[in-house]
Amino acid sequence: MKIITENQKETIELGEKIARQLRGGEILALEGDLGAGKTTLIKGIARGLRIKKAITSPTFVLMKVYNADIADRNGLRGSRIKKFIHIDAYRLKDEKGLVEIGIGDYLGERDSVVVIEWAERVKKLFRGKKILKIKLELGKKEDERKIILKK
Amino acid sequence: MIILGIETSCDETAAAILDIDKKGNYKILSNIISSQIDIHRKYGGIVPEVAARKHVEMMLPVVKESLEKAMVSSKEIDLIAVTRGPGLITSLLVGIETAKSLSFAWKKPLLGINHLAGHLYSSELKTGGSKLEAIKFPALCLIVSGGHTELVLMKSYSNYKVIGKTLDDAAGEAFDKTAKLLGLPYPGGPEISRLAGKFKVSDSRLPIELPRPMLNSPDFNFSFSGLKTAVLYLVKKLQPKYGLEKIRPQVAFEVEQAIVDVLVAKTIRAAKKYKIKTITIGGGVSANKKLRELLSYKVGKEIKGAKVLLPEVGLSTDNGLVIALAGYYGRIKNLESRIKNDGWKKIEVDPNLEL
Repeated sequence: MKIITENQKETIELGEKIARQLRGGEILALEGDLGAGKTTLIKGIARGLRIKKAITSPTFVLMKVYNADIADRNGLRGSRIKKFIHIDAYRLKDEKGLVEIGIGDYLGERDSVVVIEWAERVKKLFRGKKILKIKLELGKKEDERKIILKK
Repeated sequence: MIILGIETSCDETAAAILDIDKKGNYKILSNIISSQIDIHRKYGGIVPEVAARKHVEMMLPVVKESLEKAMVSSKEIDLIAVTRGPGLITSLLVGIETAKSLSFAWKKPLLGINHLAGHLYSSELKTGGSKLEAIKFPALCLIVSGGHTELVLMKSYSNYKVIGKTLDDAAGEAFDKTAKLLGLPYPGGPEISRLAGKFKVSDSRLPIELPRPMLNSPDFNFSFSGLKTAVLYLVKKLQPKYGLEKIRPQVAFEVEQAIVDVLVAKTIRAAKKYKIKTITIGGGVSANKKLRELLSYKVGKEIKGAKVLLPEVGLSTDNGLVIALAGYYGRIKNLESRIKNDGWKKIEVDPNLEL
């Protein structure tokens, strides 16, 4: 599925829409260059999951775990999502670094949603797992982004 | 008291020994840092596996070296202070497990330290100094590094709160990523600074205007991802016409100016609002010359009765000395209960620890 967003606001809204489809256990693998909008999309997803805490870039800490267990879950029927894991593989050469920091605890767990930026660097993690691949590219106009979703 | 400070939250494997009394008279007995920037330059970035393995290899030699250089035996150590967060969990654990083992084996109390707290006090120490250059309260500390950008209001050594922080990228990260966009090697911050330092404003040829994100927002938060995107668009526009080599110096100059402008402006505004007596900075980016100069200049010009306390460049990046000092403040503030609750049995790592 290919979507064009005209600006940051629309990218965030797309993230919220994606969040509403999540049921728990999903792994979202984001690919895209610096400035393509990966973290922006993820901010939208977090907003859609009603996460209160501000999503900041995990480039240096690699992984941030957010509490997504919220009482009011209007519009998120049947959702078991308790944890939102935001990973950034920008500084990694391969998946070993993520394995070491305990990503195994969250990948595919029913109560977690895991989003990984620069996912192409840690491809091996996804072997045999169902992932939602999201590719972000710059669009024709400056603030435009092309976002491709693939299961 | 003699304090062993251990720090392994990110790249550095560091241990230091600080001899300090209740009045703040001190002597730096040793400050050992095993820089891993060379290793990471080889791999093009921080590779946790390598970092953790390097920490494991370097930790005991670094601790041993710190004791030998200080000419102090384990018996003479009064307190062990170790960073328990925030940072890379694999790196943090090396320091913590080592500190726990030493605490148990040597029968010495152990205090877990917030890495960011180390940056709060870093400007009080000077290599070769003998008396802490005390922060006068209320104070403001701007912590800027690769992973953090926070403005901290300090009412006392143990009473502080974060009044502003980045909503997306940290300042150090902004330096690193814009450097990458300019094709500069890791670590990007010093590279940008280096190029910017050589650039003369009179050489400005290119029409470059970079945003100062959130400069005028009423809060004390920061945002740098917009700057990154602006540089991305700029490089895309100018590179085909002029080539990366030609545009780099001026863009590096503009990037540094944009980042420093925002950091200083918000700090000054906060200092005025809270009637601050001491302004200090900490974290890797606090080594940036332009930041230090502009901050000192603006404070001198716009805020009467406030002093700027800058950390020594060598102490603004990660080291064990500031952790030892944080341990000192933890101890003399009679946080004995903390020591009882920490200690080798209970100390816990927290990669997402906040101030």
